[in-house]
Amino acid sequence: MNHGIRLAFGLLGIVAAVLVTIVVLLSFDRPPITAVQRGFRGVGMEQVYNPREVATYLAANQPPELIPSLGDDGPRASEIYENVQVLGHLSEGEFTRAMLAMTAWVAPEQGCTYCHNPENMASEELYTYKVARRMIQMTQHINADYQPHVAETGVTCHTCHRGQPVPEYIWFNEPPASNAAGMLQVSSGQNKATPLVNNSSLPSDPLTPYFEGAHSIRVQGDTALPTSNRHSIKEAEWTYALMVHFSQALGVNCTFCHNSRNFGDWSQSSPQRVSAWHGIGMTRDINQNYLKPLQDVFPDYRLGPTGDVAKVNCSTCHQGVYKPLFGVSMLADYPEFRGPERQATPASAATPAPVLVPAPLLIVPVPAPLLIVPAPGVGPTPTTPPQ
Amino acid sequence: MAMLTFEEKYRVRGGTLVGGDLFDFWVGPFYVGFFGVTSIFFALLGTLLIIYGAAIGPTWNVWQINIAPPDLSYGLGFAPIREGGLWQVITICAIGAFVSWALRQAEIARKLGMGYHVPVAFGVAIFAYVSLVVIRPVLMGAWGHGFPYGIMSHLDWVSNTGYQYLHFHYNPAHMLAVSFFFTTTLALSLHGALVLSAANPPRGEVVKSAEHENTFFRDTIGWSIGTLGIHRLGLFLALSAGFWSAVCIIISGPFWTRGWPEWWGWWLNLPIWK
Amino acid sequence: MAQYQNLFTRVQVRGPVYAGVPMTGSNWTRSGKPYFLHFFGVLGDAQVGPIYLGATGVASLICGFIAFEIIGLNMWASVNWDPVQFLRQLPWLALEPPAPGTGLRLPPLNEGGWWLMAGFFLTASILLWWVRIYRRARSLGMGTHVAWAFAAAIWLYLVLGFIRPLLMGSWSEAVPFGIFPHLDWTAAFSIRYGNLFYNPFHMLSIVFLYGSTLLFAMHGATVLAISRFGAERELEQIVHRGTAFERGTLFWRWTMGFAATAESIHRWAWWFAVLCPLTGGIGILLTGTVVDNWYLWGVKHGIAPTYPPVWGPVVDPSLVPGAPR
Repeated sequence: MNHGIRLAFGLLGIVAAVLVTIVVLLSFDRPPITAVQRGFRGVGMEQVYNPREVATYLAANQPPELIPSLGDDGPRASEIYENVQVLGHLSEGEFTRAMLAMTAWVAPEQGCTYCHNPENMASEELYTYKVARRMIQMTQHINADYQPHVAETGVTCHTCHRGQPVPEYIWFNEPPASNAAGMLQVSSGQNKATPLVNNSSLPSDPLTPYFEGAHSIRVQGDTALPTSNRHSIKEAEWTYALMVHFSQALGVNCTFCHNSRNFGDWSQSSPQRVSAWHGIGMTRDINQNYLKPLQDVFPDYRLGPTGDVAKVNCSTCHQGVYKPLFGVSMLADYPEFRGPERQATPASAATPAPVLVPAPLLIVPVPAPLLIVPAPGVGPTPTTPPQ
Repeated sequence: MAMLTFEEKYRVRGGTLVGGDLFDFWVGPFYVGFFGVTSIFFALLGTLLIIYGAAIGPTWNVWQINIAPPDLSYGLGFAPIREGGLWQVITICAIGAFVSWALRQAEIARKLGMGYHVPVAFGVAIFAYVSLVVIRPVLMGAWGHGFPYGIMSHLDWVSNTGYQYLHFHYNPAHMLAVSFFFTTTLALSLHGALVLSAANPPRGEVVKSAEHENTFFRDTIGWSIGTLGIHRLGLFLALSAGFWSAVCIIISGPFWTRGWPEWWGWWLNLPIWK
Repeated sequence: MAQYQNLFTRVQVRGPVYAGVPMTGSNWTRSGKPYFLHFFGVLGDAQVGPIYLGATGVASLICGFIAFEIIGLNMWASVNWDPVQFLRQLPWLALEPPAPGTGLRLPPLNEGGWWLMAGFFLTASILLWWVRIYRRARSLGMGTHVAWAFAAAIWLYLVLGFIRPLLMGSWSEAVPFGIFPHLDWTAAFSIRYGNLFYNPFHMLSIVFLYGSTLLFAMHGATVLAISRFGAERELEQIVHRGTAFERGTLFWRWTMGFAATAESIHRWAWWFAVLCPLTGGIGILLTGTVVDNWYLWGVKHGIAPTYPPVWGPVVDPSLVPGAPR
């Protein structure tokens, strides 16, 4: 081999080495990292975080400024205003504050006219009016009937909307894949890089069967020898895809809920898995009973490529955090969104919401740098004593 | 104990790294040396401590015995013996025993006028072990990140640690390591088979030569790596498997905290394609 | 002081090309004019060629090429023939086996039929190559050990793609063709069947996988360490032991109390390497057919450790009366 070829190979080698170095330096994280132990020591059930990333999430998940209470006395809203069907039990002050809150949480740029005709505030002519009413009912339903998932922390419009008319993390059904050459294989719903499933080639839309439909998620058998379990490996891939979505949506890994030596066994799983089980039911409930019936209400530009209505998944509320807003309860400050029979005392005397990480998450006291806790002084003040 | 027929002429003094003539003798077929003494010490102590750990545990079932590392809350300090401290002392014994064994191999190689390839190769394996129980835990801030000592329990740790990254197969260094493991096994089967096929021809044939070995591979795939080359290749493949395994676990945690499939985003989002 | 470790050849000696040992019972002659590549000579032997093409060899390459094209073109079609997206998404693309509902019937081409065809041609290619390997050894008057080692790998391949799907009654159980997708299959397989670490044949297969790596590191390092005495001439050392393998044998005897010989180390090597796919294939075959959940199998046979509880009792919420599933 002559000198010229050797030179060429040498240069190629140097270029390759430089490229690899660039990729390595730019794509990886660096220590220090934060680890939270969640199982018995040595089992490997841990959460691992990059504290710099956590800081970004903390900054992005601060609850909005508190709107002060406007008083709970006087006539009810249904007596003063027309066409108040859901929030009629509130006082005028509470009702007004609810409207102000919804504007701030859903349409801060657009203002009241996003839902209302200013000439006739009771008119339902804008689709957003009808959608908003249904959304309030949905919020109340979640807070009343899904306590095993949302506990006393609850949700408000802000939990999903975060100051935007359309929440950032919604999903639509995928259009059927076009196949240029009809003879070649039809799409099996997987084998392309999909951000929803962490950029893997797992099935790209596990949301339709499990969050719109009610397909069985469990695939493991509960006997050592084959009995009645007829689930396929393919189904296991679909369940896996759904679980990857859970992990991304909550910013956790599989061991947050499971001991992977036996995924199905509840006695080896964490209490969070039970909460997640309720969350699945809640998500299906929201999609089937609150969102899909609104399909004819939404204009075309709000629908998906197949004409379906926007639906929710875990990311819609959680947005990459194990508890939306790191567990800060806005509902405590806005009990109007609990619903009539659940509304407790007025906002000014609301009980402090649990701000810090509750016991079931931490088995072992981890030293100070537990960065998933909001720093003191941040978050809703006056009603919540600093912890 | 009897020596092999040719052994006596090789039993000479010398080659030791430490201790001179003091430990330069054999016990049966085993060479002692200073590092033989330290090997026995660490190995015996470590084994007895493992047995002690089983004794204070719930079972003597060999599959279920588990010596677990400390809780993460102990950080990089010493834990109480029954709360993971035992694991820490056993780990020290293991490292002591492995390093002693490698140095003993170096002394034996020196005595026999051999190169150091074997202890260096073993050093790569020791590096893989140390990366799991020292390097990665230190980078992550707690000894508790090491793997437990137990037949099935260490597999539970592997499974759960893998799922901490959602889909560990997508770890690029893991892909490299697995490929090297499979290729090593392939190459070993080929090399073992080739030598045996030349030395054990069918009935009526004579024992074959290296020319036959080379011809077989030139006939089948167009190239033969040769008798020296295959040993270089085998050593390289095997050590690469161990090396990239160590890399793949060191980067998981200290240098990557998300799911491994997500790492491939750099390729998907290269500016040269949208 | 620096010492030469014999890892790379510093001075290459060139003689005439070697045309190869005479063949018997072969219909073709060797093809190609052999030449030298200096780069190959740095690591091993520099001569490239001649090659024996042969009927089975050519047939194997053709079948293999067909399989390769079926897989590749289907992958390319799945990105709508976009060449940029093909390169970008290549690791994620796949040719999938038929869907679970198909059973063992022949599906339409575009719903798994191509996968079956690619699998058929790939299997044909592999089996033809096996025949080639066998025949070349016989033609040179050598033992057929390479062919039988290859057979162990073919066993694993057939178990994964053919035998087990047959026993399970569904082509959909087989592995897709694709870089990342076959890894998804592997993970899903373990998830579905209760964690394969608890499969005893999986344990054995890993023992032989790691053991093979250990053995080749040991053997490769040993031969290099005694290569100054000509150890790489293993056949000569087998029939007429020289100081090279005397020292190598004593190295291991003094280290661990026993040692192999120049020949027997290659038997250790052959068996460790062959037992990896052999036991692995058995482990795959038993999964789903004989055992549905390996962890529970482990519990049944007393190998699963218990850990002290960390949380209070967690119970399946779907068992609460009235709960949906």
